[in-house]
Amino acid sequence: MARFIVRRLLQLIPTLFGLSILLFVWLRALPGGPETALLGERGTPEARAAIREQLGLDQPIYIQYIRYLRQLLELDFGTSTQTRRPVLEEFLTRFPGTLELAVVAMVIAIAAGIPLGYLAARRRGGMLDSLVVGGSMIGIATPVFFLAFVLKWIFGQNLGWLPTIGRQTPGINATHVTNLFVLDGILTREWDAAWDALVHLILPGVAVASIPFAVIVRMTRASVLEVLGEDYVRTAEAKGLTTRVIRGRHVLRNALLPVVTAIGLLAGALLSGAVLTETVFAFNGIGRFVYDAIRNADYPVLMGFISFIAFTFVMINLLVDISYSIIDPRVRVR
Amino acid sequence: MTAEPTQQDPTQHPTQDAVDSGASRGLSTQPRPPGPFGQRRAERIDRLAELAATPPDERGESLTRETFKRLRRSPMAIAGSVVIAIFVVIALVGPLLTPPPAWLSFLPLYGPTAEVGLDQIRPGHIPGNSADHWFGLDHLGRDVLSRMLFGARTTLLVGVVATMIGFTVGAAIGGLAGAANALGGRVGRWLDTTLMRGIDMLLAMPPLLLAFSVAAVLGRSLLAVMIAVGVAAVPFFARLLRGSMIAQAHRDYVLAASSLGVRRPQIVLGHVLPNSLAPVIVQATLTLATAIIEAAGLSFLGLGNPDSRTPEWGTMLAQAQNQLSVRPELAIYPAVAIIITALGFTLLGEAMREALDPKLRR
Repeated sequence: MARFIVRRLLQLIPTLFGLSILLFVWLRALPGGPETALLGERGTPEARAAIREQLGLDQPIYIQYIRYLRQLLELDFGTSTQTRRPVLEEFLTRFPGTLELAVVAMVIAIAAGIPLGYLAARRRGGMLDSLVVGGSMIGIATPVFFLAFVLKWIFGQNLGWLPTIGRQTPGINATHVTNLFVLDGILTREWDAAWDALVHLILPGVAVASIPFAVIVRMTRASVLEVLGEDYVRTAEAKGLTTRVIRGRHVLRNALLPVVTAIGLLAGALLSGAVLTETVFAFNGIGRFVYDAIRNADYPVLMGFISFIAFTFVMINLLVDISYSIIDPRVRVR
Repeated sequence: MTAEPTQQDPTQHPTQDAVDSGASRGLSTQPRPPGPFGQRRAERIDRLAELAATPPDERGESLTRETFKRLRRSPMAIAGSVVIAIFVVIALVGPLLTPPPAWLSFLPLYGPTAEVGLDQIRPGHIPGNSADHWFGLDHLGRDVLSRMLFGARTTLLVGVVATMIGFTVGAAIGGLAGAANALGGRVGRWLDTTLMRGIDMLLAMPPLLLAFSVAAVLGRSLLAVMIAVGVAAVPFFARLLRGSMIAQAHRDYVLAASSLGVRRPQIVLGHVLPNSLAPVIVQATLTLATAIIEAAGLSFLGLGNPDSRTPEWGTMLAQAQNQLSVRPELAIYPAVAIIITALGFTLLGEAMREALDPKLRR
């Protein structure tokens, strides 16, 4: 196990190296170069030259690359032109919010998706089955932010059941340790604050969960259908095992393996969903920050976000790989 | 006249075993680039590639013909095709009707940018649907139905051009890698591994965020949206065509062609490539749906088409968020149009995928 992790970590080095070249070429591809991005179209030639010198753009390309690599290693993404604070600092204070949203969405998607997918497969061709299959197709075809509009409109503004703005009611008595507000509330035993933060997560969480839910439902349904036709299920029935044992031990356990695999793949859908949803609910995470950055042409933030996302995904994939090797030991020898 | 000795009895064809082993030799025996990133997604794509390479049933019908037969019977495929047909007709005719020609001037349609009802717009008040404006007005007093009809073409254009970009670039990379792996020897395998390392890295990124990073670099324009969404689809096409070509390269007709002395480029371009395209076409249909949804997502993030003379459903939906409390219909019309269209392409694509899957052929 430890050897596997070490091997994966070593494989990370060429990947990150390749990624850094890709990102470097990418960011240099800006029309008009980075100086136009920073100054806008109206920069004077002198200001441009000053920026070029400051960024080292007058140097040969390999020196530029080494410089860029050093900045990456020092996690120096520059300063946000909106807030005048380091980009990394802005990301790190906002990332917990996005993470919290993604986790809640995943929990909703799994808690609703697996039972519904299972039931749909058990009653194949029935009402519930058609509803689930049709619903998941519509779920995939619906733009996430539109679903967020609808949820906000119905449950927030018309019915007034749930809060639709922010991560926590302003002015509530809450101490922030990790910036994961629900966890903070539990750690500091401020149950009101934890509950308040959780309630704020429900509507955005449901919106973000829509696509993962649709995928999980369909995966579970297909997988259960396949397992139900297996010989060992018939054998178990013939042996006279109770339905509960057959369902729990034989069908569900075997059917869930491919579903668990698919769940790892959904990290991408969760993160892009969060980026699109946060703005609708004025939820202070990375997505909303980037949304504002686009409007204010805050290029250091945009470029930093691209590097940040690429790096995050390399890491997520690593974690997913390691967790698979725990679930399914066969992965390790490949 | 004596009968000829039955040395060549067709029922005991000596190559029958070779056919079977050739068929069962799928992708699994192929060396796979060891890159861990994007591997699960890559495996899923490879499965689709492999499915299409499974030889047809004993009836001896071609896979394409049999697939079409299945599609004609599939209610999913029919529903999807009908939706797509209606969408294409609207996209073709819509811009001709906005504004309508003289002989149709009784229709309440206007130019897409004509601010016909500007005098009726007040802060906090946008009139809803009426006999003059069936879908109501937007925040600048423009007729929503006219913009929807005109926007169908832009929306279709974004989807088609983006898919074509993804298809062309992806097929070029995947085709090169597949050809190199299957028929190129050691250097070819090295080339394949290098290319697929890069593709798997892109595959690990969520498509929307990949499109986002492209659009952020290119700036705001309709073309930038098309390129961004297209680039996000490249890794899928590349991986799929490569897998499909490798699966085809081990079929018997390739062996036959090479033993007849057909040159390798001719085998790849004339035989392997055309036979590998079926799963790629399925993917193109599904990509059209995601392209339209992703374009809407980019518009919402503020990276969409800024030109109001060419309305597009995604941009209309994104703009409607500011009027949500006044007139939610402004968001609902384009959203429903996007959902139905994306659903149409998804239904057809899924039906095609099912028709290609031998596991479901019962």
